[in-house]
Amino acid sequence: MTTVLILLLLALGAYLVAVIETWTITGRFQLAAPLFAGIALLGRESIVPRKPDRIFFEVAPVLLLISAILAAAVVPLTPDLIITDLATGALFINAALVYVLVALLMAGWGPDGAYAMIGGWRFLGQLIAYAMLIVMPITAVVMRAESLLTTQIVVSQAGVWNIVYQPLGFVLFFIAAMALAFLPPFDLPTAKGELAGGVEAEYTGVRLAVFRLGRLALIITLAAATVIFYLGGWQGPWLPPWAWSAIKILVVTATMLLIGRFMPRIREADLLAWCWIFGIPLALLNIFLVGVLVLVLP
Amino acid sequence: MSAQTFFIGFFGLAAVWFGIVVFRTFSMVRSALALLFSQTALGAMFLSMQAEFLGVLQIMMMATEMSIMAIFMVMFMMDPGGLGEMDMTHQKRLSLSAGIVSFVAAVAVAVFVDWGPVAHTAPDAAQQTVDLGLELLGRSMLIFETAGVTILTAMIAATAVAIQPATWRSKHEH
Amino acid sequence: MSIDLLLALITGAALFGVGIYGALSQTNLVMIMMGVELMLAGAMVNLVAFWRYLHPDNPAGQMFVLIVMTVMAIEMAVGFGVAIARFRAKGSVEMEEAVELKG
Repeated sequence: MTTVLILLLLALGAYLVAVIETWTITGRFQLAAPLFAGIALLGRESIVPRKPDRIFFEVAPVLLLISAILAAAVVPLTPDLIITDLATGALFINAALVYVLVALLMAGWGPDGAYAMIGGWRFLGQLIAYAMLIVMPITAVVMRAESLLTTQIVVSQAGVWNIVYQPLGFVLFFIAAMALAFLPPFDLPTAKGELAGGVEAEYTGVRLAVFRLGRLALIITLAAATVIFYLGGWQGPWLPPWAWSAIKILVVTATMLLIGRFMPRIREADLLAWCWIFGIPLALLNIFLVGVLVLVLP
Repeated sequence: MSAQTFFIGFFGLAAVWFGIVVFRTFSMVRSALALLFSQTALGAMFLSMQAEFLGVLQIMMMATEMSIMAIFMVMFMMDPGGLGEMDMTHQKRLSLSAGIVSFVAAVAVAVFVDWGPVAHTAPDAAQQTVDLGLELLGRSMLIFETAGVTILTAMIAATAVAIQPATWRSKHEH
Repeated sequence: MSIDLLLALITGAALFGVGIYGALSQTNLVMIMMGVELMLAGAMVNLVAFWRYLHPDNPAGQMFVLIVMTVMAIEMAVGFGVAIARFRAKGSVEMEEAVELKG
């Protein structure tokens, strides 16, 4: 029952992300546009390029969707609304989201196209940049909660939300989450206008629809992860828990999408250099500061 | 047969099958990703053996490792796409017999040794994670620290070996 | 003796055998490293199985698995470092061509 409800909510969330994305790009608020776009994609011919690696080509969009759904399985929306409260939940989110990389590599290699392949390998470089910035801030969050349970992490923020307790970690995680969801300005693997769609370039019809759905689900999952790690999850005054979760997740999603609207695309080399020269030392400093705070504060 | 036995057998079979695929496919990216799925199946097997932390860690670490392996395969192999169906093996008979002999020997040990009483219950996952953490920073701290320092050494050594020498650069970039 | 333990040990043995076959038969350094990874994976299965079925109360068994994972990562890092250096010097990482290593 909970599983079905969460999957429905995930689908609804993905739909809303599509609406918000159109809004941030065009400035128009069209509630029905993603529906028509989806129907149009389903009706379109699904072309297979010449000499593809057929297995990778077919599996990649599905794997992207599955990894987003698996990550969503350990995200609690209210104290009870969670598919499975794994004892290693905070680690499991990472484990599921690494398969986004595998899916994009497959999507890049599979269709035997130059732009797609450049996009796929670019994302591997991007992973080298963002991976540590996902793991290290989560380490600091887990240190405060003294548990890997995602529900326990939310409960630990009852007094002070983590965004106040460890703002440095929040900024790093937020940037890394945007890079993981390949949102602009980190949309190196798809890079519209430069790679002609990159990993998406060779996909059409139903497969493209699944790919886009996977990406939307990924964005909403990452927004939800940001909320439970840093914004106190379901906690908040007056409103019921589910309402707080929904509001926070949508606000974080809109922020992620809006930031990309006003930033130029970052070069691969710059991203790697900045992440390793500034990002990782800052993440280590964050762990150290949180360690001191955990020991000093009661 | 319990569900645990079924899943251990199933994921074990999947791991071995993907392991064989690694050396039977001509496409290098397929080969690397087959290794990845072999390791992922192992991670799932750890999960079905109730080692939750290790299973999730295995699934997470191997995805990154094997994807990086894929790009090195494409860089260094002569025929990364595998369309030429090049034979990249040597001393086939020797290696096949070595593989079979070691497999048979290990299975014989597994079958004929008396392993003593088998534990039927394991601590629950949360308790395991706590125990492992205390073990790593308690009794086994020296070993764990050694592993960390060794990884740092390996990183520095690998970078030092792989970095582009100045003489090479002046020869190739005019 | 439990069937679960036996299954896990046989899986470990099979992975080890496949790994040995790969490490001996492949001519390319990267493929040889894949064989070594499979052998280490076989060892890892055995460690987890021994921890689960013989000493579930002793977390040191799990720690060994972490050490094997570390060894895998180190092997990858150093192996690829050597591969890059060799490729830059000789233009290939085919082991048949590395005759100068023969004493």
